[in-house]
Amino acid sequence: MSRNDDISAKGDPEDRNRASPQGDSTDPLSLNRRATLGIGAAMASSALSVVPLRAQSPQVTALPEGTTAIRTLVNGRPVAVTIDVRTSLLDLLRETLALTGAKKGCDHGQCGACTVHLDGRRVASCLTLAAKADGREVLTIEGLSHGDALHPMQQAFIDHDALQCGYCTPGQIMAAVACVAEGNATSRERIREYMSGSICRCGAYVGIVAAIEDAASRMGRG
Amino acid sequence: MPAPPFADRPRIDALDKVRGAAAYAADMRFPGLLHAMTVPSPVARGRVAALETEAALRIPGVTRILTPADFAPTQRVADLPNSPRPGLVPEIAFRGEPLALIVAETLEAAIEGAEAVRVRIEGAPFSATVDSPGAAREPAPDVSTGDAARALAGASTIVEASYESPTQHHNPIELLSTTAVWADGRLLIHEGSQNAGAIKVAVARTLGIDPAIVDVKSATVGGAFGQKGWVQRQTALVARAAMLTGRPVKLVAPRGQIFHLATFRPLSRHRIRLGADATGRMVGVHYEVDQQNSRSGGFPANQYHDGAMRLYGIADYAGIAANIRTDTQAPGHMRAPYEHPACFAFESAVDELSYRLGRDPVALRMANDTRTDMHTGKPLSSRFLNECLQIGAERFGWSRRNPAPASMAAPDGTQIGWGVACGLYPTLIHPAVATLRIAADGSTRFAVAGHEFGQGIRTALAAVLTRELQIDERRLQILVGDTTAAPQHLTAGSWGSASALPLVVQAVARMRQAVAELLDGRRIAGTLHQQIATVRRPFLEVEVSQVGPGQDSAALQRMRAGGYAVTGPAYPDFTTMSYIAHFVEVRVEPRTRRVRVPRVVSIADCGRVVSPRTAASQVRGGVVWGISHALREATETDPRYGGFLNNDLAEYVVATNADVDEIDVGFVDEPDPLFNSIGLKSLGEVSMVGVSAAVANAVFHATGRRLRKLPIRVDDLL
Repeated sequence: MSRNDDISAKGDPEDRNRASPQGDSTDPLSLNRRATLGIGAAMASSALSVVPLRAQSPQVTALPEGTTAIRTLVNGRPVAVTIDVRTSLLDLLRETLALTGAKKGCDHGQCGACTVHLDGRRVASCLTLAAKADGREVLTIEGLSHGDALHPMQQAFIDHDALQCGYCTPGQIMAAVACVAEGNATSRERIREYMSGSICRCGAYVGIVAAIEDAASRMGRG
Repeated sequence: MPAPPFADRPRIDALDKVRGAAAYAADMRFPGLLHAMTVPSPVARGRVAALETEAALRIPGVTRILTPADFAPTQRVADLPNSPRPGLVPEIAFRGEPLALIVAETLEAAIEGAEAVRVRIEGAPFSATVDSPGAAREPAPDVSTGDAARALAGASTIVEASYESPTQHHNPIELLSTTAVWADGRLLIHEGSQNAGAIKVAVARTLGIDPAIVDVKSATVGGAFGQKGWVQRQTALVARAAMLTGRPVKLVAPRGQIFHLATFRPLSRHRIRLGADATGRMVGVHYEVDQQNSRSGGFPANQYHDGAMRLYGIADYAGIAANIRTDTQAPGHMRAPYEHPACFAFESAVDELSYRLGRDPVALRMANDTRTDMHTGKPLSSRFLNECLQIGAERFGWSRRNPAPASMAAPDGTQIGWGVACGLYPTLIHPAVATLRIAADGSTRFAVAGHEFGQGIRTALAAVLTRELQIDERRLQILVGDTTAAPQHLTAGSWGSASALPLVVQAVARMRQAVAELLDGRRIAGTLHQQIATVRRPFLEVEVSQVGPGQDSAALQRMRAGGYAVTGPAYPDFTTMSYIAHFVEVRVEPRTRRVRVPRVVSIADCGRVVSPRTAASQVRGGVVWGISHALREATETDPRYGGFLNNDLAEYVVATNADVDEIDVGFVDEPDPLFNSIGLKSLGEVSMVGVSAAVANAVFHATGRRLRKLPIRVDDLL
């Protein structure tokens, strides 16, 4: 568990023993991200910066403790950035690079709203450390279409009304494009199975499956 | 004169949504933004003796920690959707209650800061569940008509059974997200909400400021389902942080905390005695319901009867209800809050009755139709439930059903069951004000009370606007959820369309009149935009308002002041409800006993359908909710410490793509002749009502096992 979902005690040990599960080994919420990473408490407070690749000195100067510098390609655009080592790829995209298409729905890799492609494969960007994008290519919903021309999957989602609130939609579409590319859009049953990592709480599943079938034929797969 | 049928049209905001360009509250960018994180209470009841913040304040990037000292003391009031929430307080009323708010330069620092705060708590005894010692049963006022005891005494057949609907959480995929900006003496709040108007007033009250300086915007909401209808606890906290730091502050609440912060569907237990005479006429009902509530929760217990008592023409109905008070956050409205659990219970009982009587369950229901609201004695403005049953039975192939339980099976031994159940939902309305602006540059702007959370209110508004007016849709702006554009009211209870759409018709008529007055007899060709341009006006704007049947200007004033001003479904001269019939096939696998739902046929009577595409999506979504509630969803209370154990999307299981197969949706599409000029009623919630009963009835038909407690799980069928 991570991200302060933990609502277990931070209180006085005696009080904890009386009234809370803190320290109880059965508490499913007792592990936090810091513990997982095993890093110290110190971290940089300096604002994150986006620097074009060519502007950055090849001579990497000493970075503040708890930070690391990465270079990545996001939607075809080179990005060099110094990050807090704890930063998820999702938070890097949303909070630093202003790419807010990928959404935070759970921060636990359970809902699929944050799905992006990393080197052509779909990943839950909330469970992917931003540092793992170093030297790799990231594709988000913003990079899927070219100008006004929509990707066939985007058009199919419109045509089949495969969305309602739209919050999970960028993740659904990135997962759907990957589903077709993986060769998993060969039947409705298979689509349903391979799209079940992306929750649509509005319940647009019938439209989503129809959209993927439709787009798969246009994409020359499935 | 009701409008003729509407044509299919795409969802107006789909293009932005498929490009990731739709801006939700957490997507807003502000220079100098700070990130916030809450420190939740680890105990269900007690008092904060001390908050140790020194270690957290030493973390680089942490700029401020808000504690109860940063808030004026506030009284806890009965928890209702529009109630102001307390700021930070030392008294702890439920597990997960926020005790402090960390504000930091980065999200990572805010999270680390929240984890570094140490809290000393004086714990107090608490009641975690409805069965815990100290859980207090508190009767609510009865909702009764006629003399049920006498009617039941004369009944020839009586079904008596108890049903249970579990605790459930809404879990829209958009997390509760608040961004507050304090600048130039005004407070701007961006939050995914169904109730921007109430936020404006409630946050001002909590912080002791004038509501007139508060602006709230909730332009696009990432799912709501009732969760975002209540003023959230976090909103005033984030606003206070913005005021204290002088910088924009954003909080995206972690999902695990939201399980404890937002409202939830409370556990409810239903005991029903349903009597019929020898002809199969349902003559009397004695229906008792208990629901879980919080100590100060205002979510009424007796509204389970509002739908159930109007489902059939039953003159003698005793509706009893009680709250069981426990130490939790307040439960509240979750999609079809009362009708879903009540129709699960009631429509299961009707199915049991059909077997006792040896009657076909569709025919039994059709024989108990009514044209009268038996509770008020007034006529129903429209009711096409029998048409829903008839069309649905035909599409489903109901006539091929062998009525005997456990009589249908696939060659591999999979048991097949066909079940039916009906649903209904009140048709409600609130007063609203709308402005229509037509500009010489060709643009059109319509602003009204309402919130867009995926149900498609913008698309429905556009459907009426484009029918009434010749406009360039690319230059059409529809403003909802914005207190700076129009007074806002809670959007819930499926009343959004009825409260907003007829205003379009009215505004266009007023606009035509205003343009005619402007032209003063001159004849100018072209659209209204061109006519306004020709007479060199930059734009023309008209304002119109509407109240519900029987409401007066006082209700309009209440709405303008950010209050709750809903009326219905019992209006002075008639009662208006929406209806649906669901036909469900289940397959119960022979060895695993897993229940699958390969097909559903659902036919709705929601009056005139204004936006066929989004309406059909709403119904399919409602059916998915019904399947999910019948077979998957339940939140488990932690009896040791209070709060909820399965507080994430891996453990709180909702229907995924693999759980859903064919869903065939149809509409009667008959306009209601009395309720409004368009003839529309209500849809979002009725769409799920009855699905869970249809699933349970189908499971009975497949297996011979009557399961009266949701969700139905594999172990119930072993």
